Amino acid sequence: MKIIAIYNIKGGVGKTATAVNLSYLASLDGANTLLWDLDPQGAASYYCRIKPKIKGGGKKLVEGKIDIDEVVKGTDYENLDLLPADFSYRNMDMFLQSTKQPLNRLNKLLGPLAEEYDYVFLDCPPSISAASESVFTAADILLVPTIPTTLSLRTYKQIMHFLKQQNTGHAKVLPFFVMVDGRKKMHRLIVQHPPSFMPTLLKSYIPYASEVERMGTHRAPVAIFAPGSKAAGRYQSLWNELRPQLW
Amino acid sequence: MLHNQHSFVIPENQGVIELVSSLRKNFSVRLLAETVNKRVFYDTFDWRLYKNGSVLEQHNEGSSRKIYWREGRQGKLKIQLGLSKVPYLASELPAGEFRQQLHSVISVRELTPRVRLKIKRQSLAVVDNNEKIVVRLYIDKYLYQPSKTRAARALGNRLTIVPVKGYADDYSRVEASILEMKLPPAQDNMMKLALVAKGVSAGEYSSKLNILLDPDMPAEQALKKILLRLLEIMKQNTAGSITGRDIEFMHHYRVSIRKTRSALKQVKGVLPQDISEKYNNFFSMLGKLTNPVRDLDVFLVQLENYQQDLGSAAQQALQPLCEHLMQSRAEAQKKFVEELKSAEYRENIKQWCNYLGSSEKSDTPAENADRAVYKLADELIWEIYQQALEQGNAITADSKAKELHELRKTFKKLRYLIEFFRSLYPTTMVREFTQALTGLQDNLGELNDLDVHAAIVRGFIKQCTDEKAVKACKKIIKSLKNQLHKTRSEFAACYADFASADNHNRFREMFIDYHASR
Repeated sequence: MKIIAIYNIKGGVGKTATAVNLSYLASLDGANTLLWDLDPQGAASYYCRIKPKIKGGGKKLVEGKIDIDEVVKGTDYENLDLLPADFSYRNMDMFLQSTKQPLNRLNKLLGPLAEEYDYVFLDCPPSISAASESVFTAADILLVPTIPTTLSLRTYKQIMHFLKQQNTGHAKVLPFFVMVDGRKKMHRLIVQHPPSFMPTLLKSYIPYASEVERMGTHRAPVAIFAPGSKAAGRYQSLWNELRPQLW
Repeated sequence: MLHNQHSFVIPENQGVIELVSSLRKNFSVRLLAETVNKRVFYDTFDWRLYKNGSVLEQHNEGSSRKIYWREGRQGKLKIQLGLSKVPYLASELPAGEFRQQLHSVISVRELTPRVRLKIKRQSLAVVDNNEKIVVRLYIDKYLYQPSKTRAARALGNRLTIVPVKGYADDYSRVEASILEMKLPPAQDNMMKLALVAKGVSAGEYSSKLNILLDPDMPAEQALKKILLRLLEIMKQNTAGSITGRDIEFMHHYRVSIRKTRSALKQVKGVLPQDISEKYNNFFSMLGKLTNPVRDLDVFLVQLENYQQDLGSAAQQALQPLCEHLMQSRAEAQKKFVEELKSAEYRENIKQWCNYLGSSEKSDTPAENADRAVYKLADELIWEIYQQALEQGNAITADSKAKELHELRKTFKKLRYLIEFFRSLYPTTMVREFTQALTGLQDNLGELNDLDVHAAIVRGFIKQCTDEKAVKACKKIIKSLKNQLHKTRSEFAACYADFASADNHNRFREMFIDYHASR
């Protein structure tokens, strides 16, 4: 089982869209895939038409008092399951701190699912906190969607600095550009000449596209309602590039 | 993701539209895509999974490939393998519980595709108020297609309900509604139906002789029947022996050759002398080609056990030995395959088959050709049994390995004669005899294997320049010697068991008195 966390401190960079689209494409390959919506806003759950609620509450789940497998829900796609969000996840840091080994907690919770799933995608909330550190410890891949702007690059540097300082986990950090707007000169320049502090940058990038926004209307991955669209193709390219890194 | 599904047979007179309409009375049902999928059923050549009551299926659905191991009449899911390709051998799987489980069923045998099905699937979904899928339904039309050019044969339609995780209540409601339709539950797995369509009976392969002889049958006719069955087993195992991945094919092939030679040599004066000599030479040549391959196969299987007693450093040092053995095996296998693929081999086998199949009598029949087979069997078995006793009684603690090797060969001849003629004697008597023989033969077989394995390692040491490897090999030889000593010390007891007065009386009754009292 490989754990892929889609993470960025910044909000609104397309983490959820990435998590939903990539987990769907992984499931389409025949891989048993779980998407864990860790964001209390529950957008990934919404996209999957699943109520963002954990029966018994998020606290009990984190404390291991609920069997994680019991709260997993099947999505509309055969090999893709979802562990829904819960509004109580806003207190995730507190829940984790009440456990013995907060850093290892997510890893431990996912342990029993190792036999069942090939991939677990974590749709992380936009923050840097104890919960993020637990994500860093559990993840094999930290996928960082980054908008090609000065401020976003600065944020990426902050993440890298934080990871270096904390020295937690073994995750391979893979940034990639999102919401790339070809009309904007800065976007074009950064994509064409990526900064040297991003040596693991993925070649694939996601353009700014209305199809991605329409996921909320269709409540489905782009490839379902706009299979021939540019955005669907770019997510597929991203997955094709990412997949070999998971073997 | 693991789930058990519930399948029903859709009777021929029940239309699919009608079925969907009935479901729509109670549920919101959405028609999804229509797809064509493939299913491949795997088993070993000798149907070990089938005999174990399980099925290994590969589902090809679009670009997805999944492998399921199911068991029981209802095809209950045992495990879904996290693989996209069925392994040839259990040993190819990563170490773990599943590898152990599979190995306990198929051992060293190779998994091969036994039958392929095409499935035309209409997927349906029961959705809730949010248009969220809560239960999946598949209407599958199963087709067996013998080849691309031949028409597919319909095997029937099935309805399968698949739960969606987290929506158990919806599943129960849909299931209850379908149960009300009184559709018969699907009990036979599809592999069985496909095999019937293919004209293959699952589980039918056996490497046993199972020859039914009439006691009064002329010996020539009986011997030809035995030899023909042995040829059939050889043929069944030829392709697998050439591939060489599953070592049991070669084993069965080789045993058939040995039995053929034994029949030609032991059952004397039945076939014309020129025929006996010609084919004895031919099968002797073939047997010699199989010897190094089989010896190395058995050694490689055993090597894991031999290594267990060594430390990890010594185990690593044995790598050159493993490589040498693998290379030697590959060379021996190559020679063997070259022979099997030769025109001369094919011609010999063809002529042998023609000869055994012909009912023409020789102009100058051999002296025993027309004798009733039971008389000849009694004489031959009793004679070789006496010879075995004579050789066995002469074995002492000081006897050399060669004498034990000769004794082993004599007991093998005896065992083979019993197998050839077992239908002429009461089953219980034959069973008692073979049971008495088993312990002794195991002991002699183990002595032989240990001896051969020590010779293999010694041969490697002679040409090895790696000091660490030589040192580790010497440890193995030491361990083999200890094992040999122990097994040798057990021989006397094994032999005494076999040669007991009780057994002797029973064997006399079987081979002297039984037919005399007819």
